[in-house]
Amino acid sequence: MIDRRLIQNFDWILLLALLVLMSISLMNLYSATYAIRDFGGSQVFVKQIYWFLIGFIVLLFMASFDYNILGRYAFPIYLISIGLLILVVFMGKESSGSRRWISLGPISLQPSELVKITIVLMLGKLLSDKGGDRPYRLRDLWLPFVLLGIPFILILKQPDLGTALLLIFISISMLMFVRIHWRSKIILMISGLSMIPFIWFGLKDYQKMRILSFLRPDVAPLGSGYHINQSKITIGSGLMWGKGFLKGTQTRLHFLPEQHTDFIFSVLAEEWGFASSLFLLLLYLFIILWGLTIAKNSKDRFGAILAVGIVSIFFWHVVINVGMVTGLLPVVGIPLLLFSYGGSSLVATMAAMGLLMNISMRRFMFQEMTVL
Amino acid sequence: MNVVDKKWIRFRIYLVEVLFLIGLGIIIFRAYQLQVIQREHLKSIARAGYLKTKIIPSKRGTIYDREGKELALSIEVTSVYAHPKYIKDKKEAAIKLAPILGRNRNQLMRILNKESSFIWLNRKISSDLGKQVKDLSLQGIVVVPELRSYYPARETGSHLIGFVGADNQGLEGLEKKYDHILKGSPYRLTFLRDACRRAFSVTQTLPFNNGVHDLVLTIDQDLQYNAQKALKKAVKRSRAVSGQCLVVNPANGEILAMAIVPEFDPNNFSRCKPSQWRNRAITDVYEPGSTMKAFLLAASLQEKVVSPLTLFDCEQGEFKIGNNIIHDTHEAGILNVADIIKTSSNIGAVKIGQELGYKKFYEYLKKFGFGEKTNIDLIGERNGFLRGIKSIKPIEEINMYFGQGMTITSLQLAMAMSVIANGGKLMKPYVVKKIIDENGKVEETKPRVIREVISRETALKVTHILEGVATEDGTGVQAAIMGFTVAGKTGTSQKVNPKTKRYSRRKHIATFVGFVPSDRPKMVIAVIIDEPRGIPFGGYVAGPVFKEVGQWALNHFRINPSTRFARNVARSGLDKQLNSPPPPPDPIRIKAGSLPSLKGLGMREVLNKGRALGIKVVLKGSGLAFRQEPAAGSALKGIRSLKVYFKSPT
Repeated sequence: MIDRRLIQNFDWILLLALLVLMSISLMNLYSATYAIRDFGGSQVFVKQIYWFLIGFIVLLFMASFDYNILGRYAFPIYLISIGLLILVVFMGKESSGSRRWISLGPISLQPSELVKITIVLMLGKLLSDKGGDRPYRLRDLWLPFVLLGIPFILILKQPDLGTALLLIFISISMLMFVRIHWRSKIILMISGLSMIPFIWFGLKDYQKMRILSFLRPDVAPLGSGYHINQSKITIGSGLMWGKGFLKGTQTRLHFLPEQHTDFIFSVLAEEWGFASSLFLLLLYLFIILWGLTIAKNSKDRFGAILAVGIVSIFFWHVVINVGMVTGLLPVVGIPLLLFSYGGSSLVATMAAMGLLMNISMRRFMFQEMTVL
Repeated sequence: MNVVDKKWIRFRIYLVEVLFLIGLGIIIFRAYQLQVIQREHLKSIARAGYLKTKIIPSKRGTIYDREGKELALSIEVTSVYAHPKYIKDKKEAAIKLAPILGRNRNQLMRILNKESSFIWLNRKISSDLGKQVKDLSLQGIVVVPELRSYYPARETGSHLIGFVGADNQGLEGLEKKYDHILKGSPYRLTFLRDACRRAFSVTQTLPFNNGVHDLVLTIDQDLQYNAQKALKKAVKRSRAVSGQCLVVNPANGEILAMAIVPEFDPNNFSRCKPSQWRNRAITDVYEPGSTMKAFLLAASLQEKVVSPLTLFDCEQGEFKIGNNIIHDTHEAGILNVADIIKTSSNIGAVKIGQELGYKKFYEYLKKFGFGEKTNIDLIGERNGFLRGIKSIKPIEEINMYFGQGMTITSLQLAMAMSVIANGGKLMKPYVVKKIIDENGKVEETKPRVIREVISRETALKVTHILEGVATEDGTGVQAAIMGFTVAGKTGTSQKVNPKTKRYSRRKHIATFVGFVPSDRPKMVIAVIIDEPRGIPFGGYVAGPVFKEVGQWALNHFRINPSTRFARNVARSGLDKQLNSPPPPPDPIRIKAGSLPSLKGLGMREVLNKGRALGIKVVLKGSGLAFRQEPAAGSALKGIRSLKVYFKSPT
């Protein structure tokens, strides 16, 4: 099954980009956990190395077989991931007020990370199967909505607003690849907008508070706006070239919350300055553009939509996370992919990258087919 | 999948690409904005969060007396403050703290219940008490070391030295005047703090005594102490409101002592009234009265309008000029200039003054330093007031000759007398002898001559005449010191009643200003007693302070008694007059229960007798007693007061 051409077509550039990203990530994680190294911080660093290794194996595995095989099993895979989400409801591990993890001995699994990929796979399969000739009407869209709605509600109930919203954004990104009747589009938009007040009242108080403090962070600098103010200060104090490795005072002095997970970007920005922020964001941009190129060159419709879905996971994570830590967006707990600490997220992302690579490796087949 | 479909997908991918580019572009711009554009702003906010600067006042410089005794020094104490929010059990805290801090439990409770995040409980308490509080280890109660100024000599010299407030700022006296060099640069301690506000690293250190200077004063602490003691006694004895006693070295203008009553303890300055803090020797002005005659004399002799032997008719105690009548306290006929000064005749002074003229007198008063600040290195000094030549009315001119209608400070008086004592030079007074910086470098104050006022010869002539004041027939006999010649001048001025704008009959200021030994003046002593009750005369009220302080100081500075005195006496044959017993008084026949004769006795003896007999004595005139009412031999019973008339024996 493994063609020689596949080895030749192996996407070394994407791999290189990922390796660079990983190296920066590990170095930065070391610094972020340096201050708490005696309280489990060094363990965090070592664990992440293992997760990267596992991630690579998963990546290679995901690249090793034709993604269309995966497409065939999209629905069962989707069901398994929903099953895991339901499992969380009943036997999830609670941490900091939310129930997101399934405990498996020493490690804990976060099914919502997996769901992001399975929903991309599921929607990709669904949208590519329908064919692009006839525009979608509302009645054609019920299945995607149900498939999206189930995990959305389950994740929202954890509660994990960030990931739930992310599912929506990713899905919208993918829906761009089907023709939708203009009337349906308008109805969708209006109903989407009219949902906003209901979503607001359905939010928990702390979530409302985060959004309010995003609008006026200065009002409560040590209260709900604390995170974001400290994060902005941390990033801003890095200036052009940063304070140097392990020299970030905000990080070292525990001013920064969640510094090895959601606010990891601030650590890099403080210690290495704008130069590093720019480099990192350009690196993400490169991966995103590279992914879109893969989508453009993919041999079939499923591959293209799948690639766009994976890239959009990446894109939304970066924009929301960095937007959040720089105070552009409200605080929703979303990690910076391949940069924040977190095993599930890392392995899931590597799996997605493996898929991307998979599509990349098999792109020529698509071209050949069109030529024929 | 057809080509159209593929193109459509590619177009959609381009669309997504553009959207993603915009999204990431915004994020990158945002990072640029935070890190490059607003950086100073955010950097300063971050610094405020993690850098905490604590200003620790530096140790204050020490103030020494001329012998190196410490008058003011910094000692380590502790202060206690509370973070009421962090106190778990406020009641328990109050109960435990109250006995240590010496406060009422309920009052303490009220303070701890306040909605404040920081409250000083007790500041600058002893380190022992601070340690006791610390040992309680109560949450939310913090003990910090602080420095406070301590004045080991307590009241001694307090008006000069002043004191320091709770925040290390000089509030009065030298502590205020030299605040900038005594306190040095504050010790700025910069901590790095973590998010829980725990300090963990000190980023900057400075030497603890950075820029701190020590002062060495011209004051002699022992002399100051004794001057205050003598002055206090005199103020108490005469039931006066206040008093001042200045001791100045006339040769260089050093202030050796500056005693002020009422006193205060600078260690507890807040318990005293602000009026007690005032250094009255420079801040209070008053009408000098007869002491000005000494300077009238000096001016007239310098201008050669009179000689010591020029005779004037003193009009038997009543002299009419225009519509005004000038009185003398005792009648006299024709007196020479020396006697006019000795007996302090107002009429004689006016006649001398008329010879000199007001214009000249005014010029000399100015030259002696009246009407302007001495510029002593103290704060709060006042000018005093002299009426200018143009604005003065004739009657005011006349009054000026015996010291009415002008105001002076005691320091001006002492410095003007120093001119006569040192042979004619007005010196600038000072109290800081040396300033020693943190490296031990000494800056010594150099004596400064402000101007030559009179010639050496004039000064000597004046001195000789002033020597007469402190003799048996002078007005200041109480100031005489055994074995030394004293030159000086008494003054008894009436105070102006602020309500009636007229001279009060009851309120006086008694003055004696002079120097000793007059043949080689070592010190000028000015004693001013404000509102003595009973006998108001300068010689009687202030003279004894001069004597006591002078005697003590001469002994302290090991100044030998005058040999000139004995030699001159022998040579001139005056010894007979001086050594012979006072003119034989009528033998006092002390019959039981009858009044003795007081004839031929000096004022002091009369007063002693009066006190022994328990009779209030009213003295009239000066010199020796020649008449008394009721007469000698009267039955003591029923006599409440005794009037004794004095006149000069010649």
